Parts: sequence; structure tokens; C-alpha cells
Amino acid sequence: MAPIFLLRRTTLAALALLALMTATFFLVRLTGDPVDLYLPVDASRAARDAMRAQLGLDRPVVAQFFEFFVNLLRLDFGASLWHNRPAMAVVLEALPKTLALGAIALALAFALSVVVGVIAAARPGSAVDRFINVVSQAAASVPDFWLGLMCVLVFAVNLRLLPTSGFGGPAYWVLPVVCLMARPFGMLVQIIRGSMIEALNASYVRTARAKGAMEGRVGFVHALRNALLPAVTVTGDLAAQFAGGGGVVEVVFGFPGVGKLLIDGILRRDFAIVQSSIFAVAVVIFLINILVDMLYAAIDPRVKVE
Amino acid sequence: MLHSTTLHRSALVLLLGTALIAPAFAQSDSITIVVTDEPKSLDPCDTDLSNNARILRNNVTETLVNLDPANGEVVPSLATEWRQVDELTWEFKLREGVTFHDGTPFDAAAVAAALTRAGNADLACEVGLATLSGNVFTPEVVDAQTIRIKTGTVEPILPNKLSTLDIGAPSTPADAKTREPIGTGPYSLAAWNAGQNVQLVSYDGYWGDKPAIANATITWRAESAVRAAMVDTGEAQIAYEIAPQDATSANDHAFPNAETSLLRIDQSIAPLDDKRVREALNLAIDRDGLIGTIFHQDAQKAMQVVLPSVFGYNPDIAVWPYDPDKARSLLEEARAAGTAVDTEIVLYGRIGIYPNSSESMEAIQAMLLDVGFNVRLEMMETTPWLEKLIGPFPADRPPSALQTQIDNTEGDAVFTLPNRFTSGGNTSTIADPALDKLIADASAATGDERQSLFRQAFNYIAVDAINIVPLFHMVTIARVSPDLNYVPDVQAGNEIKLATMSYK
Repeated sequence: MAPIFLLRRTTLAALALLALMTATFFLVRLTGDPVDLYLPVDASRAARDAMRAQLGLDRPVVAQFFEFFVNLLRLDFGASLWHNRPAMAVVLEALPKTLALGAIALALAFALSVVVGVIAAARPGSAVDRFINVVSQAAASVPDFWLGLMCVLVFAVNLRLLPTSGFGGPAYWVLPVVCLMARPFGMLVQIIRGSMIEALNASYVRTARAKGAMEGRVGFVHALRNALLPAVTVTGDLAAQFAGGGGVVEVVFGFPGVGKLLIDGILRRDFAIVQSSIFAVAVVIFLINILVDMLYAAIDPRVKVE
Repeated sequence: MLHSTTLHRSALVLLLGTALIAPAFAQSDSITIVVTDEPKSLDPCDTDLSNNARILRNNVTETLVNLDPANGEVVPSLATEWRQVDELTWEFKLREGVTFHDGTPFDAAAVAAALTRAGNADLACEVGLATLSGNVFTPEVVDAQTIRIKTGTVEPILPNKLSTLDIGAPSTPADAKTREPIGTGPYSLAAWNAGQNVQLVSYDGYWGDKPAIANATITWRAESAVRAAMVDTGEAQIAYEIAPQDATSANDHAFPNAETSLLRIDQSIAPLDDKRVREALNLAIDRDGLIGTIFHQDAQKAMQVVLPSVFGYNPDIAVWPYDPDKARSLLEEARAAGTAVDTEIVLYGRIGIYPNSSESMEAIQAMLLDVGFNVRLEMMETTPWLEKLIGPFPADRPPSALQTQIDNTEGDAVFTLPNRFTSGGNTSTIADPALDKLIADASAATGDERQSLFRQAFNYIAVDAINIVPLFHMVTIARVSPDLNYVPDVQAGNEIKLATMSYK
């Protein structure tokens, strides 16, 4: 891969990151004063003022921003008010869990949707195709929150097959993965089905058939390879979304990932946690985008990374 | 159709899978308890926050005295006796043979260090900022088992206040918060797995009776339905704060949680500066209609902001009747007298302040509209709501009533009144010199005089001034596993009494 490509992408990403962090800095401060939330209601005005001064919140926002910016360049995100330790350390504990959860959910969703999408595309309009259509559309549109609670009710409370929530061995991952999978699975089945039907009717497939290629080979080698391209693009976007964590799913299942951390950080006005989570997630999204570009080039020789 | 062998194989796979992944069920010496939130810190000086106190208080750390949940009376804990030496000095005799979890002996110097630490403004300790604020406490070590505490101004109920001061080991850092509390309690901290749980293990060197349960895990889930389900599946034995709509099991226990819900009237802005209008607000609310529907059926109608168990509670204030006709006529009367009763009044609510908080405000809004108020409801998230709750208030604000609830777990009215109902109180919307004097006199008095003055103050707030729309003394629902001996009491909102629990 051309080093110039990486350099250009990294520069652009760094600029985007600075813009994002600037926006985050101001947006999070627009949402209210952490001191009111952090101190007991009975705390005196003097105590509130002292804490504001201690946190530097009494200074002009521009001065606060300047300090934040300088610290950002040194990758110093400050201490979390709630956790009372460096915010980035808290984020880096949560991030791998979210990435693992997202990767598993997305990989399974992708694999499953390829199989199901191809089956549906094999006989468009058939009963099987219509059934897959209904299921995949439902999966794509069901709210995470509702699905999560239903899964708890059915698989944990009634069937006693899985733990309701928490973090631990493989069993604890099943329900969050299933809930996170639903939407990408539904979307990818729709995409793969559509592009597969198109590919199977394309001239190069007809040519392959005419030359006597086996039906399986036609489907999986000739058509699928091309049909996968839009799915890969969408998967890349989904992966970028997942890097921020399935916040709702993580909250429902008490899964200690970065999505839950970010939601808690926002609710608690823990500026350092919000800023460092967003920074970490943005870096991951940048890396995912580069990976998707490379993957795209690997699948379609017409695309060159340069 | 599937062959029977396929079916058998599927069943086998399912069974194997189940065996591999089934959640671990509790053992007789272990317990798991699920609460709503991760603790903010595990520092002994942050126990004014119930999330922290629930884990620490009387489990990991102890206080000099406790309050009896039945009547609020001060009872011994790490101190065995106490007396007021003079107006500004209290003396406490400390229990002998007590050690901290790190082996150091508990003595007067440890109490002095804990008190000084909680008052350190740089640390911003919750206990120092809330319960101990407004006075200066100077500890004096008399001998290892005797401590005197001098106060800046007279402090007639110092023992009550010290029931909130959890005492950590002298090795607790003096200039920073700790995440590894070392106390004298029946349990020591085994681990705080950030984001997941806190684990406690019983302490062999405990001075009191050894608890029946050796290992306790406290975990947290945001969703009420999930918390409730965890008890059903055996993943937890106690789940706190179950929403009424999820409380569908015989294992759900409602207990008074020391909170009183109310609307705080901002009485300095017209038309709420007219007492008739404030009275109409109260008469327009069908409290009986709200109980058992939106509020839990065990909630009690309130007329003041503390529970009957709190010293100073006035049992003689009659609950407002539901009288929409009288409310309408009062509004007419005020209108005739020139009060702008048609001005829009904002009802500020807080999302999730208690279960069904939004629904309760919608119902109240409807009741107020029904008698002719012009009311707009604004439900807010906590931080913007706090800006409305805590002064100073902007001069050009609209007339408003604010949904809030007030708790008092310290057993005396002084923990409720000064900050909320005096001219200088930072959440007060009443500035009345007569009430200021009443509360100040009551706070400095003792015995019957104290009780009588506080009763007068409560009557003044509710009946003479009508600064509030009192609603209910609230309850919390906990789901408790049927094989566990545990009945939550009024302190259960702030204290998970692990040492009192055992399996049947």
C-alpha cells in the first residue's frame, strides 16, 4: 500500500479528530454544570464555588478550551470525576470489551446474512424468500431495548438457559451479541439478497453458465464476489457504529463496555470520560475505515488503494 | 419432518449447552445483591451518597453510633457511650478490642483523623459537604478510648450527625480519595471490579458476631426489569428499586424509604405570590386517586417533608382534601382581587426521580388544568433540573412548581429544614423572617422545646405559608429471594445490612 495514502488519511483523520474534540468540548459543557450533580444538594454555595475553581470551571470557557487543547495534543485527558482516576485508563478498560462484542456480533451477522441472503436470492419470490424478507425486515427494525428485555424474559427468566446480564464467561455474551446482531443481520440480508439477484442476472454470470460452469460455482464464486461489495461497505459503516458501543444493549445487559461508559459519562457530566471515550472511539473508527478500504481493494481488483 | 435422531441430537446439544453456560447459582455462604448504579467512590467520607453508603455502612466501615430504624433513637456502635460535657463539647467513649481490616487498632486518633478528613474542603467529601457543613468540629484525643469533639456553635444533636461519619483506618490517605476502604466492619473489601461489581468478604477479626454470609457481591443494573429477573433466575438474592410495573411477584417487598415527594412552590413570583392560588394548587390534587395507580399503594399521604419517625414531625397537620370546587372558587377570588391567575405556571419535573415520575406529573398537570390553572409541564433530565432546584434563581424566571423529593435518614428535622426553608437555604423558595427564627431556635434547642419548635415550623410551611404541595411518603420495592431471611427497613435505601442476612 502506498505510504502516501496512509499519510494523507492520517493527516485528514487528525484534523477531523481535532474538530470532533473541539465540538465535544463545547457540546458537553452546554449540557450543564457537573458541580451541581457531583456535590450533595445541601452543599453550600461556597463549597460549590470552591469545587468549580478546583476543576477550573470558573475560568472563561476560552481559557478552559486552550488548556484542554494543549492537554489533548499531549494525549492527556485528565481525571474522571466519577471514577476518581485517569479517564483514559477507565476508557481503555472498557473499549476492548466493546470491540470484542461488536466484532463477534458483526462477524456472525455477516456470515449468517451471506448464507440467508444467498438462499433468498436463489429463488426470488418463493415462500422461503418471502419468509426471509419478513424476518430480516423485522430484525432490521426491532428496537434494541425491547429486544434486549424480551431476550432476558425468554432465555433467562423462562427458559433459564442464559444469565440475564453481566460480564463473564461465554454465556454472558450470548444475549448482548444476539441483540446487537439483529439490526446488521437484517440490513445485510436485504443488501446481499438484492445484489445477489442482480449479480445472478448479470451478463458475466450468464456467460459463465453458458460455458458450463457448475451452478454452485456460478453462485458462490462469480456472483457472490461481486454481490459482497455493497455488503462490505455497509459492514464497514456498521463496524464504525459498533466501535462506539451498542449503548442501549450494554446498559440493558450491564455490559461494562465503552457505550455504557459514554452514556454514564454524559448523564453524570463527567467531561473527562465523555471526551476520552469519544477520542478513543474516533481513533478506532479511523482504523476501521482504513481496514475497510483495504478489504474493499482485496475483494474488487478494480479498486486501488492509493 | 425431522427424524427422531435429529431431535434427540438437538436436545442433547441444547442440554450440554445449558450445562456449560447456565449461570452459577448462589451457595449458602454467598449472596449477590443488585442495585441501580455503580458506587461513585468507596471512600468512607462519601457515604452521604446512598450508592456508596449501601456498600460501606456497617458492612465495611462503621460509625460511632447508629440510628434505630424503628424510632430514630441513637444507639451504640463504635462508641459505647457519650455525653455532652458542656454546650460546645461532646465526649464519646470508644469500644475496646476493635481492629481495622489492616490490623491496626481502632482508637480515638482514628476517629479524629476521620473527622478531620471529612471536613477537608479540598477532598470535597459528601459527608463534610452535607451533614457536617455549617459548623466547625475540632476533635481532641483524651486517651485511646476517649474522644472529645468541640463544636464552633452549639450542636445539640451531634450524635445524630456522627451516625453519618464512617470511620476509615488511619492509613486512609489524608489528601486524596480512596477506592480501597479499610474499616472496622464485619466485611472487608475483596475487590472492586470497575463496571462490574464490588466483592466483600467477612472479616475474621470483627469485634461483633460473625455474619452468617461470608461472601457478598454487590452489582448494578440500570434496568428495573433486569434487576427483578436476576432474583427470579437466582443470579441475585436481593434486587432494590423495582419499578411498580415490574413488581409482579410475591417476593416483592415495599418499604418506606425515608423520602417524601412534593412540589416546591416558587412563591415569590406572581400569581404564586397569592396564598389563595397556592392553596388552590393543593386542593386541586386528588391524592387518593394517585395512590395505588401511579404511586405505590403503600405510599402514605403527606403533609410535611419528613416521615413520622423523624424528630420534630408534626402529627397534627391535616392532609389536604381533594376539593376542586373550592380550588376553582379560590382562583376566582384571587382573580377578582387582581391576581393574574391565568399566567402560565411551569411544572418542572425530573425524569426518573421516582418510578412513574413523568406519569405522576402528567396526572397532576391534568388535575390543575381541570380547576382552571394554566399549567405547562416541562420534564427535565437531572442536571437542568438541579439548576432549577438550587439557587440563586434568576430574577426573570417564570412562576413555577418543582417536582422533588426530600429524604431524611438522620432522624432529626434539622437535616431537612434549614437548607430548604430558610432565607439563606440554597434550595429554598421561601424567605420569611418568622420561619427563619423558628427554624434557628429549633435547631439550637433540645428536648421537648426542640420538638415543639420544629412542629411549629412544619405547620408554618404547610399551612400558614403553603410553600409546598406535599404528596406522599414514598416506598421502595425490593425483590428478595424466598430462601433468604431479610426484611428491608426504612434505612434500606442507605444501608444493605449484610450482617443481618442469612439463608433459611
